[in-house]
Amino acid sequence: MTIEQLALKVVEACEAVGSDHMVTGAFAYNFYGIPRSTKDFDVVVDVKEKKMIGEIILQLDSDIEFGGQVQFDTLTWGRRHIGRARSGPSYQVELFELFDDPFVLSQFQRRKRLYSGQLQHEIWIPTAEDVVVQKIRWGRSKDLDDVRDVLAVQGPESLDMDYVTNWCATHGTTERLSAILESLPPL
Amino acid sequence: MNPLRETGLRLRLAVGRVPPVDNPHDHPTALKDLQDSIYREKVLRARAMTPEERFNSGFEVTKDAFQRMLEGAMWQLNTEDVEAGWKEVGRRLDRLRKVHDAGRFADQLPH
Repeated sequence: MTIEQLALKVVEACEAVGSDHMVTGAFAYNFYGIPRSTKDFDVVVDVKEKKMIGEIILQLDSDIEFGGQVQFDTLTWGRRHIGRARSGPSYQVELFELFDDPFVLSQFQRRKRLYSGQLQHEIWIPTAEDVVVQKIRWGRSKDLDDVRDVLAVQGPESLDMDYVTNWCATHGTTERLSAILESLPPL
Repeated sequence: MNPLRETGLRLRLAVGRVPPVDNPHDHPTALKDLQDSIYREKVLRARAMTPEERFNSGFEVTKDAFQRMLEGAMWQLNTEDVEAGWKEVGRRLDRLRKVHDAGRFADQLPH
């Protein structure tokens, strides 16, 4: 199974059970930054009913094995389900359940529709500003590198930096944002 | 020629240009200039792509990276068994996940 096939299966599984979705992680970042490789296809799923996540996982079961272990994001305590392709390349899938964190909900409501020629399917992705805010919030070194790259490629002057700075202030990540902006070389 | 003058001539410090030193570590700004120059090229290449091209490119670079991981694993295991190679790649990715997720994800909610 190719990574495109895996991505398409995940998106179609969400649609099959009636769950709104939003691609996140590196594939969302790639839309705005310097394209890079990743080991997984990440999706936020709006599971309006608890059983929906199980139904999505069941839809994918023939191709993707989920371990049954739910993990919790220690920043926000959101739930994550990890799956791996049953054969071929060890591509991974991460399903993040949408939950009632103010920023997570805002990001999801602001998502944009994109037609992917590679997938020959429509998908939803976050805005550039929301990618910046989310990755600054996560704060791992690779996330901060991604933030720098989105800001470098897009240019802060073309983004709604008031939106970004307001959320960073809410999350207590203003210093991280400032450090990244200061680190951008002349471009 | 005086060695210092020769070095000074070779340095040719100019804003935004990498000094022509033999070793970028030999000059206080040469390494940073070189890093910034390489980064600038990457940013400009990305800017020249459409958003859709950047998004689609992610699939290609990911496939390439996985293929290299497979070849590396098979070489290190000294095997031609592709399935064994992918299994090893999976094992390594699990280790990588633990490193990346350390402190970020928990198996249980706090009590």
